[in-house]
Amino acid sequence: MKQRKNNIDKLLTINSRREFREQASNWHKNLSLPDAQVLTKHLQKLESPEHVFRLGIIHTYTSDLLDPWLNFHAAIQGLALHTYHAPYGMNIMESQAGSGLSAYKPDLTLFLLTREDLHPELSKPIIEFNHEQQDRILEEVVIRLVEILAKFRANVPGQMVLTVLPRILPAALGLYDAQADCSESVWWSALKKTIASRFANTLESSMLLDLDQMLVELGRPQFFDLRFWYTSRFPFTSQAANELARRVLSLAAVSKYPKAKVIALDADNTLWGGIIGEDGINGIALGPEYPGNTYVDFQRRILDFQKRGFILVICSKNNPEDVQDVLANHPHQVLREHHFAAQRINWLPKHENLTSLSEELNLGIDSFVFIDDSDHECAIVRSQLPQVQVIQIPAKPIDLPACLEQISRLEILSLTEEDLQKTQLYAQEHQRQNFKQNMGISGDDISDYLASLKMKMSISLNSKEHISRLTQLTQKTNQFNLTSRRYTEQQMLQFIESDAWTVCAFSLADIFGDSGIVGLALFHHLNCSETEIDTFLMSCRVIGRQAESAFLNSILDRLASNGVTSVNAYYLQTSKNGLVASFYKDHGFRLEEDGRYARDLVESPVDKALLPPIDINIVD
Amino acid sequence: MSILDQVKQTIADTLNTSSSSITKDSSAENTDAWDSLAQVNLMIALEQTFDITLDVEDFMKLNSVKSITKFIEENTES
Repeated sequence: MKQRKNNIDKLLTINSRREFREQASNWHKNLSLPDAQVLTKHLQKLESPEHVFRLGIIHTYTSDLLDPWLNFHAAIQGLALHTYHAPYGMNIMESQAGSGLSAYKPDLTLFLLTREDLHPELSKPIIEFNHEQQDRILEEVVIRLVEILAKFRANVPGQMVLTVLPRILPAALGLYDAQADCSESVWWSALKKTIASRFANTLESSMLLDLDQMLVELGRPQFFDLRFWYTSRFPFTSQAANELARRVLSLAAVSKYPKAKVIALDADNTLWGGIIGEDGINGIALGPEYPGNTYVDFQRRILDFQKRGFILVICSKNNPEDVQDVLANHPHQVLREHHFAAQRINWLPKHENLTSLSEELNLGIDSFVFIDDSDHECAIVRSQLPQVQVIQIPAKPIDLPACLEQISRLEILSLTEEDLQKTQLYAQEHQRQNFKQNMGISGDDISDYLASLKMKMSISLNSKEHISRLTQLTQKTNQFNLTSRRYTEQQMLQFIESDAWTVCAFSLADIFGDSGIVGLALFHHLNCSETEIDTFLMSCRVIGRQAESAFLNSILDRLASNGVTSVNAYYLQTSKNGLVASFYKDHGFRLEEDGRYARDLVESPVDKALLPPIDINIVD
Repeated sequence: MSILDQVKQTIADTLNTSSSSITKDSSAENTDAWDSLAQVNLMIALEQTFDITLDVEDFMKLNSVKSITKFIEENTES
């Protein structure tokens, strides 16, 4: 009690949301409801919220009781939360145009369903059925769910997040369940897997938030409070309500704030215990014994984050050869040189190194998450680069492996092939830069260099295949982006299917590797001769290879041959896209008095002789 | 703080009202924000604030400042 009181008093002295978020380990568990309400008021008084977030809830159990927890986490994330609780029940009426939910225009709709809602047979124990019947029920559940959610998808904007409450009671066959031929838990896992994959393939911007994961983490007695379930149809303990709200608002934060892309890691007392320059490669804590095993697990966790699509870089104050020695030769080191897209191992101030890493990677400084053990380094980065999210390593090694679990910006809403290969792609870019330097190229004359890369561009038109990547590009691209319009998968699908729009994307390969899909242009056809460029963007990964010119001109040429004579375009300035301020001017467009750029394809057709040395293939 | 004051404070925090609006005579019947949902949150808050465990059978009875204060005085050591 006393300890908890002290903890709350300490949290109440914090005077910024940012610092509060960094104290995650103090507020995420064992917080009482009155504490959460007091802290919510405190947080709301500190700073005004940065974004509005509209949450819709479809529920077949009591959802209002989640409100204090949702408001608490919204206050932590700096979101002004508005919540719409639909009338109780799996209410298809809410999916209709003009329903309470669709009129509410939620950023996210949360479905809080129970197993019984999925299929009438699920009110009986699933072990009653043989394999064939179980398979049939599974298929019927998935078809029914996708049908229902598709109805919502058609009329309700925003992200859709489905949850299914685990069974209130443990597995039907108790301790024996895993052994059983028609085991309930095995069937349930198969169902979740099928739901998740069917969603990914057929429903845009929809995901399954797996409550079983929470049940495992908290434990059944800490998850369900049967007293409130049987008297008020509210299943959760405070701890579970707190954690569920945290997860939902994490998804909200990921969608509202700039994407984190880079994890910058210190070395000493972060990747291993001790100081390599003093303790030597045999003296640092890293290996199978405590505390070395906590560092090994922390490194494994970092590797998990790389698999989520984050780029890893080192930013440490050391002699470079000492760190290199550990990366190359320490038997228990998990992260090796090839895992890092770039390194700054020197004695310069860390904020300068982070700035130069941001320049080298061509990624905004606000996409950096910096992890360090030192009070001093964390403080200086916080003060010099307030856009960087700073995470200080906990003082005790035992807290290290799980110390990143509450960081919302390290959660992801989608995962594309490009994400998985990202570090590799940056490593290729590094090789390209070396190659360019070795050719002794300086100034503007880079045509020899470009020709020697033997670039091949593949342009796809109205292809649904990479829709999640195309959507992601509109959401993540800040620098080479002429209009910075952000679209959802749902909107992207409408563009692809509409005759009034042409969705063009390109991938680029050269002697060092394939970039994957890195460019997108959305053409909006006003009539058969007039077109407007709604969106034109390119990943910073391929800047400097004239791919943008090849891409734009190839499409303009194609449009001209289809009868388009006039093209309008816009440059909408942001704080980040100064790089492309003269893009349209440099590509034969005229700035009109009303601020738009225009090019007449009859007067100034595409001159193929002037195109960059890139082999182009357009796939319809 | 006396138990009575702690009870009033907990109720005010849970109902999101000012502590002055809850008096020793407040109850679910005469307090607008004290509805059935607030009652559930209040039971959770009382357990956590006074470190007690309530039975389902207690839920309905604990619907006024008086009954709650009496219950807590009888069930905690001070």
